[in-house]
Amino acid sequence: MTTWRDRFNKMTGRTRFVVCRLFIHLAGEDAVPILGLLNDSARRALAAEGDFDVLGESMVEICQALLQYDTYWRSAANEGDVLWDENEAGDYVNSLFTDSAQRYMSGPDLEAATPRREEALTLPVTRNLVVMITAAFEGEVPALETDLSSSEALANGLKALINLHYQQTLRAVQVHFSPAQLGDELTDDQLLTNFPELLPL
Amino acid sequence: MNTSRFSLQKPLSVLMALTLCVTTVACGSAPSETAGRQAGAPTAQNRAETKLPDGQYSVQQASYNDANGEYSLLLLGTPAGASSSLRTTDLQLARLSEADVKADKKPYVKIEGGKPAFYMSESFKIEYIHNVTETKADPQTGGQQTVVVRQESSFWTPFAGAIAGAAIGNMLFAPRYYVPPMYSPGGLSGYGGYGNSYSQAVGNYQQRNGGALPAATRNTQAFRSTGRLGSSSNSRVNNNSTRSTGSGFGSSTLRSDPSNSRSYDSSRSSGGFGSGRARVGGRRR
Repeated sequence: MTTWRDRFNKMTGRTRFVVCRLFIHLAGEDAVPILGLLNDSARRALAAEGDFDVLGESMVEICQALLQYDTYWRSAANEGDVLWDENEAGDYVNSLFTDSAQRYMSGPDLEAATPRREEALTLPVTRNLVVMITAAFEGEVPALETDLSSSEALANGLKALINLHYQQTLRAVQVHFSPAQLGDELTDDQLLTNFPELLPL
Repeated sequence: MNTSRFSLQKPLSVLMALTLCVTTVACGSAPSETAGRQAGAPTAQNRAETKLPDGQYSVQQASYNDANGEYSLLLLGTPAGASSSLRTTDLQLARLSEADVKADKKPYVKIEGGKPAFYMSESFKIEYIHNVTETKADPQTGGQQTVVVRQESSFWTPFAGAIAGAAIGNMLFAPRYYVPPMYSPGGLSGYGGYGNSYSQAVGNYQQRNGGALPAATRNTQAFRSTGRLGSSSNSRVNNNSTRSTGSGFGSSTLRSDPSNSRSYDSSRSSGGFGSGRARVGGRRR
């Protein structure tokens, strides 16, 4: 169902921007290896200074890995909006980045940086992992513009995201993940307080 | 009976008004992009940086900066009190029509509803300023930053050669958005892009250049990252805190035009979607 405003805008040749954000919560210790892939693509993006093609490829890899780990999906959420103004879309993308970033600690923790002698040689393994993917693109992708809080819809959404990279309609990509690395933990309490919108699949 | 007829009348009149609107847009000589914007969002345009009143001004000089895709025009005959230069990233280009050329008309800018369109002859040269950038470490923070090392100057003639050959008939004279071809030290070469909106022009450029982004888009893409991706410290955050650790990165090629700063407001948007909205009945309209 499209509104008259949508149709009028389309008829007059304006560009339709869609901004969407996906939350995927993976549970289980076996899902942790995906952290390696996430860090790897983040470092590659940093090395390429945010080159858009590199970022798009990183997003494709992450989506593919998430699809392979579908047995560990525990809960998910998504949100987004349709905009007809590029400025507005850019603004929304920026605010989503800030919102995603405030859900975890990103600054260096000075207290933890000092080595502790009595530290054990084992690393705790996190039982929860959240990946947030934000994308902005031109056009209309019904697979992403719906409620993705079911396994099937989410899988279709991820596949649609992958296609966006190859259709070259992507305009912005963001990937956030928590915890940052192997050895850090995201507890159930932290998950509840910082990701209240997650819905069980 | 009477009420049901009345309830039919209202949508019918709306429909008729809309049809009239659409046909007017289709028949008008103005490009559809301008018409759409005027109908959809007249608010932000009026306080645009181009404080010049609507009208026609002849152009003495024009330049294009590929660092941010900004045009800078030097105008003649501007009213007293108004600036004689026009700086904008939102400029449509058009060729002077045959009649205008015969009348020996000089290149001019026509501002309509606060939106400028630049009419020029085939041989008009826009100065193209190319920025050579390098990535250097910021001496104060140690972070990487992109700096402009030097600027090189060249010329861009949008309507000579390939682009003019690609457009047909009447389309040639209607203002459109253009993206200059790739810069090389000898001058501009290859294909540029054009379209009814800036993003269409960028898409057209990408199609013709094997997916490469235009210089202005590449230079303005904003990269953000959080977390400790750059450093390789193995410190772990205390588990007592309310937040776990995390990292993120993102890049955007969405253009922001400071002269048209419309910020996002979720209450004004046509319709959001998502899992949160689903609980109250699917897509909100």
